[in-house]
Amino acid sequence: MSSKDNSAERMSAYLDAELPAEETEEFERLLAESPAVREELEDLRMVMQLVHALPDVDAPDDFYEKVSRKIRRRAILNPDGLALSPVSLPFQVLSILVILTAAGLYMMAELDRAPAKIEADPDAAKYESEQQDSLPPLHQPVP
Amino acid sequence: MAREDLPVTGGAAASKAGESQGRDEEPEPAADADLDPVVAARKRADVRDRRLIRKLRQGDDRAFEELVGLYQNRIYGLMLRMIGNPEEAEDLAQEVFITVHRAIGSYRGEGRFYTWLYRIATNTCKNRIKYLRGRNFHRSVPVDETPEAHSSAADGGPLITLQSQIAGPEAMTEGNRLQAAIQHELAQLDEEHRLLIVLRDVQGMSYQDILRVTGLQEGTLKSRLHRARIALKDRLKAHLA
Repeated sequence: MSSKDNSAERMSAYLDAELPAEETEEFERLLAESPAVREELEDLRMVMQLVHALPDVDAPDDFYEKVSRKIRRRAILNPDGLALSPVSLPFQVLSILVILTAAGLYMMAELDRAPAKIEADPDAAKYESEQQDSLPPLHQPVP
Repeated sequence: MAREDLPVTGGAAASKAGESQGRDEEPEPAADADLDPVVAARKRADVRDRRLIRKLRQGDDRAFEELVGLYQNRIYGLMLRMIGNPEEAEDLAQEVFITVHRAIGSYRGEGRFYTWLYRIATNTCKNRIKYLRGRNFHRSVPVDETPEAHSSAADGGPLITLQSQIAGPEAMTEGNRLQAAIQHELAQLDEEHRLLIVLRDVQGMSYQDILRVTGLQEGTLKSRLHRARIALKDRLKAHLA
């Protein structure tokens, strides 16, 4: 760091009264010798005063009620503090995928089951065919 | 916002006061006529905070309400100056206290509650800024501050208002314009620079407390704070001309 940077840093610390006594004396000597440093110091001082003079702002009157409401709502949604946590999220997604996969496999197995049953038992197939034939047609032709 | 509890001066005395914190059962400090009023106020505030935290850990919601009441304006003010948008600032400030409520069990009582709270606040704020940047959020600058906004010199700060910077009948208008300009230019600063200016120059935090909140080294803090002020000064030049 150059000596110029050093003196610049000391300028801010000097304005904040955070400079050790020894360095303060040294910096004040520099100030006495250099009008440019004095000018920069005054510019900085003015900026600091302007920023400090920004008005204070107050939180809304119902601030605590809103915080309290949010805490209660989260406690209801997430009583053990884990259900919605990022750590458990992958497990939740994984569980849903497992359930969906199991349901899909079950449905596919169900669709395949009826033809397989008929193929495996020809008597059953014959019986079903007879049953179909004995049923009256849905739409009888009008004589 | 009351700034009277805020440490406005750093140095050895303030540092010693900070180091003496951290024991839950510390008794009320005896009245000491020799004690610096600022240091004495800090001690009283720390003892009060520890008492409230003890009660909160025992499940006393009134203690939490009191803690929120004590710090809500400072945290909201920090967020508003950092983000520039009142709705976002309020939401962020609420998140800070929700985190405090959730994490109070893990607060070991080492160091001041005040700095622990500010660490949560600055981390929450930085995370939100990153998130908003990702969503290409544009900070909106409230030109007219809230009606209840007021200037105070009760903390021993400079007796200066923005209006008083400009002479003449249009002082109020000019003061408001300047105020909006400062907020606008502050919002344009690098996030780390903005944070240091808000903590030090807006909220009047001591160097020791800023070091504890940010985790910076002292040399880094001094140089970064100086660069931040220079950057702000350069940005404000056009408005002050």
